[in-house]
Amino acid sequence: MGLFNKNKNKEKPVKVFYASDIHGTEVLWRKFLNAAKSFDADVLIMGGDLTGKAVVPLVAEGDGYVVDLFGERQTVNGEEQISELERKIRGKGMYPHRMTREEVDRVAAMSEDDREDWFAEVMLKTFDSWLDLAGERLKDSDASCFVMPGNDDPPGVEEAIVAASGVEACDGLVVEFNGYSMVSLGYSNPTPFDSPRELSEDEIIRRVDEMVTRVPDLSRCIFNLHVPPYDSQLDTAPELDEDKNVVMAGSEPKTVPVGSTAVRDVIERHQPMLALHGHVHESAGAVRIGRTLCINPGSDYHTGRISGCLMSLRGDDVKHQFVNA
Amino acid sequence: MSSESQALFTRKATGLVREAKTRDALFYNLLWSSVALTFAFYWLFFAFYPGANPYLGFLIAAGLGLPGSFLYAMLTQVMPRTGGDYVFNSRAIHPSVGFAGNFSYCFWLCVVIGVYTTYFASYGIGAWGRMMTGFTGSGSWVEFGDWFSTDWGLFITGTVALLFSAALFIRGGTRLFFKVQAIGFGVYVIGAFLLPMVVGLFQDQAGFLASFNEYAANLGTSGAVEALKTSAGEAGYASSGFDFEMTVKSVSIFWFIFGFIYSSSYFAGEIRMTKGTHLKSMPGAVLLVVVTLLLLMPAFLHVIDYDFNGMLGYADPAAYGFAAGAPAYPELMAIASNSPILGTITILGFSIGLLLWLPQTLLLVSRSMFAWSFDRIMPERLSWVEPRSRSPLVAIGIMLMLSIGSTAVYAFTDWFSAVSALLGLSLTLLITAVSGLVLPFRQKAMIEGSPFDRKVLGIPLFSLVGGLALIGFSTAIFIILWDENSGASLSLNPGKLKLALGIYVVAFAIYWIARMIRKQQGIDLSLSHRDLPPE
Repeated sequence: MGLFNKNKNKEKPVKVFYASDIHGTEVLWRKFLNAAKSFDADVLIMGGDLTGKAVVPLVAEGDGYVVDLFGERQTVNGEEQISELERKIRGKGMYPHRMTREEVDRVAAMSEDDREDWFAEVMLKTFDSWLDLAGERLKDSDASCFVMPGNDDPPGVEEAIVAASGVEACDGLVVEFNGYSMVSLGYSNPTPFDSPRELSEDEIIRRVDEMVTRVPDLSRCIFNLHVPPYDSQLDTAPELDEDKNVVMAGSEPKTVPVGSTAVRDVIERHQPMLALHGHVHESAGAVRIGRTLCINPGSDYHTGRISGCLMSLRGDDVKHQFVNA
Repeated sequence: MSSESQALFTRKATGLVREAKTRDALFYNLLWSSVALTFAFYWLFFAFYPGANPYLGFLIAAGLGLPGSFLYAMLTQVMPRTGGDYVFNSRAIHPSVGFAGNFSYCFWLCVVIGVYTTYFASYGIGAWGRMMTGFTGSGSWVEFGDWFSTDWGLFITGTVALLFSAALFIRGGTRLFFKVQAIGFGVYVIGAFLLPMVVGLFQDQAGFLASFNEYAANLGTSGAVEALKTSAGEAGYASSGFDFEMTVKSVSIFWFIFGFIYSSSYFAGEIRMTKGTHLKSMPGAVLLVVVTLLLLMPAFLHVIDYDFNGMLGYADPAAYGFAAGAPAYPELMAIASNSPILGTITILGFSIGLLLWLPQTLLLVSRSMFAWSFDRIMPERLSWVEPRSRSPLVAIGIMLMLSIGSTAVYAFTDWFSAVSALLGLSLTLLITAVSGLVLPFRQKAMIEGSPFDRKVLGIPLFSLVGGLALIGFSTAIFIILWDENSGASLSLNPGKLKLALGIYVVAFAIYWIARMIRKQQGIDLSLSHRDLPPE
């Protein structure tokens, strides 16, 4: 750490911008793609949970659409008004979807599994347009852009990333950039929410250990693991009761560690130079586990600002700073 | 996935229900706003505001603080990160302004801690010891109690209280503190408010005066009420009719409550709260305090009238048997109850309120220090959290040292009055109001995505509320500078304004020096809050 330490290493640093958990907020995706230019970053890494959690139906009525947004019913008419409203909805990390009343009723009546499929379909349509945008924005850039799905992303997101031209898939892979190796895993340990991509702690260990066998030099290796290590101060979240309400202790929420014991274990054993995490939005911070600098930039996705971390890698040394842009 | 009528379709994903209850945020804001302490201040200083009307005084203070409470609620909603005004002002104006305002706020909180520790010693334990003699006639109690009002008594007791607060975190972390706080809050409400209200309802002035005489007789002075009148008269006390100017000046005392009722905004990073939670818990706290004062004030005045309170401020306490100092509100209500048990509960409730404020403030400032360190303005060590207790012990340790220093200042000097820190604290509120005013123009995207993206009379809602808060906060600062009894008046204490502004100069210097050093390390602090263009 050392406020007054000067870096004497003359090797040209590699600038990395990491963010995670943007949850369907289009403005954040756009900001993320612009980070390469604005921060002069060599590498962009998106650490998972790209897709949103809610679809807002715009229900056709007469010549316009009716929508319940932020507790208020609005009627919009004309393409300009409709597009503006859709932009605002996307800015909140939700998916606007034009529907008839009959379609709304049909979706409402679907079984849980069928509605998950319908939801994935709506999301993937938007996600494909995001990937197209990445292709456009980064086609003339030298920056590499690695993207992986997190535990909240439905099946199909990974396939879309693999097929995209502007970004590189990294989930479950060891990728190389500028002399560094990166081991990535977007799955989380089990959560109370039964999210789409969860693994047992043992399986997380097995998968990471397997990838590590392909890393040539752990002192120049980055772990890009969506879930933070257990009890690391990067994984502190409010405790939930059986109904998923926050448990209070006096006047404050009672907090507990919710990270992965497996992730902690692999970091402690393999000691990469850097470990990047997301998942727990309210537990932003940077801590060291042995020699490994572990970072969780948190997430403020619903405020329209991207919480990220800008890192400068030089040899086996990392300098970091959080940005909320 | 579940459906919620046609408004929204949600799916299986993490974090959809993390939300604190309004009640808990309200509870937090109420505890931190120190209503009982301010009530005690008001009547201790009442003699210096002859003719002031307390009802009008606190209603004006509430009116000045209400727009601010809405503004803080709205800002917390759109920027829910740990650090409160530091985050708001860094993003809306400039990181150096955000840091300077928050640094100043934390400095003055350290100063004001000395008020709590010394009041706990003199009007808590000290008053209880005297009360036991007053009710039992045993002289050893008064000796015990009076020691707590000596300079060393104030310092040692205050320091022990601070060490106890810090030990709470070291032993059991925030979890233990919150458990203690929950129990303490109950004792505080019962002892400092409910019981005095009941006593006020069933006791009358004649009964109180008889009880006061009997009490003082046990302290060694007979005919105390007459002695009080004589001493006050000799000191120049005379009854006054209503005086509007004095009423307005007395607002500086009540500002101790209504200027600082937004503390839940400092904890927003740890827990998401919905729009309704913030809007109910901050303005709601203002409303609840007004209701509490509307009940407490008449109950108190029913037994202890304006004249008696005025005379207490003028008379020599030794003349009527209270050599260690004039009795404050909890001791007066204890006397009115004529019962050592009820009196003990009243003083205990009042003392618990003071004690609970200490760790709460240690924690609040440590949150700010965490935010400075997170943004790399301060060394990372400052935000280090001890793994076992999960407490930011370095930050708490620094706060502890500064707070002990403040206790020494209050115990051994008269540099600061009880409310003189209000000036420095309120300057930060003023900056936050400016942030609200300019936010729609500086952070368009943030406002667009928020529930506050609307205009009233053509003015952006945020700017309107920010403007009203600016008027409220400016008026409060004007009153503090105008009121000769605030301890920070321009006429009698011009040095306090210089000190308050000097703290800003120091804070700006720290920020720019840190920025220069970080630049050499390859870290550009200007990027921390820079807006990334989406296009």
